[in-house]
Amino acid sequence: MKKIIIGALTLSAVTFAACNSGNTQSQEKHDSSAVPAPGTDDKALTEITPQFKDVDTKVAASFKTLVDHYLHIKNALAADNGAEAASGGKAMAQAMAGIDKALLTADQKKRYAENEDDLKEHAEHIGENASNIEHQREHFVQMSEDMYALVTTFGGGRVLYHDHCPMYNENKGAYWLSEEKEMKNPYMGAKMPACGVAKEVIK
Amino acid sequence: MRILINVLLALFGIFILIQFIRPAKNQHRPPFPDDITRSYAIPQEVQTILQQACYDCHSNNTTYPWYAEVQPFGWFLAHHVEDGKKELNFHEYAAYSARRQRNKLKRMKEQIREDKMPLQSYTWMHANAKLTEQQKAAVYRWIDEILNTGDKK
Repeated sequence: MKKIIIGALTLSAVTFAACNSGNTQSQEKHDSSAVPAPGTDDKALTEITPQFKDVDTKVAASFKTLVDHYLHIKNALAADNGAEAASGGKAMAQAMAGIDKALLTADQKKRYAENEDDLKEHAEHIGENASNIEHQREHFVQMSEDMYALVTTFGGGRVLYHDHCPMYNENKGAYWLSEEKEMKNPYMGAKMPACGVAKEVIK
Repeated sequence: MRILINVLLALFGIFILIQFIRPAKNQHRPPFPDDITRSYAIPQEVQTILQQACYDCHSNNTTYPWYAEVQPFGWFLAHHVEDGKKELNFHEYAAYSARRQRNKLKRMKEQIREDKMPLQSYTWMHANAKLTEQQKAAVYRWIDEILNTGDKK
């Protein structure tokens, strides 16, 4: 009986540590999942190179701006700042209108069109919901999927990490992109800023 | 006393005048080539639910209540319908990207489950738009089935 209780306690401690809000570095190394601990080195991560090599420089610059705004939203959500996230969303919607689609090849147009209307909608919604950060986060889940699709095809103008938080939305989990190795969870905010595991690096 | 009468008269005059400013009605005739039925098979039961509870604000064809003829209520409704259609339009659904269509389905389910849709202000005046648990379950089943069949168009 004693053994079982101790076993249960250890188990729960380990589970808890996997997503603790505490100190970033030390906690992450205790992560019990099979994925290598993040923050060690990039070699442990699956490396992804963007699909298109022939992206027009102007287009590449536009996408870099999109990623800027995306990261702005991400960092605002991580800081529980809905107003800041909203300004990022508005800026993103505006930046999307400025993308010169005439410069895209037929293939690129297709890939962009697969994400364009969806991404625009999320940007607008995040822009309009400064006072409802949970709703912004719901849209951010799908926005992150769109952005992932875009940066893995067009590139993001910088190294990006594809991070995963297994706990968000009743353990359904959600992904996001980050410019830094250190975990800054945009879904949990101050509740669990360090929850998350890097899954891939996009170069 | 005279001032009060004048104010009331002026208000009444304004009320009469605004009756002549009538918003355009959202009433288009079929065919709707990008209707959601082009994207998915929809069981009759679900189709009826969507039409009764959603189409007034989320399609190109609204059935208006009598008070839509009275301003400023007509303006509010027009504004509502415009917003609703921008969010989700079942008559133009097939024109959305595949990804947006899937995300729409997911969000439809969430909105119903969280009791955010249909709007309370709407079900108030439209009793048959209030979904029973059974109707909700039918919609969830339909959505889950599509989401679980992978990337089928």
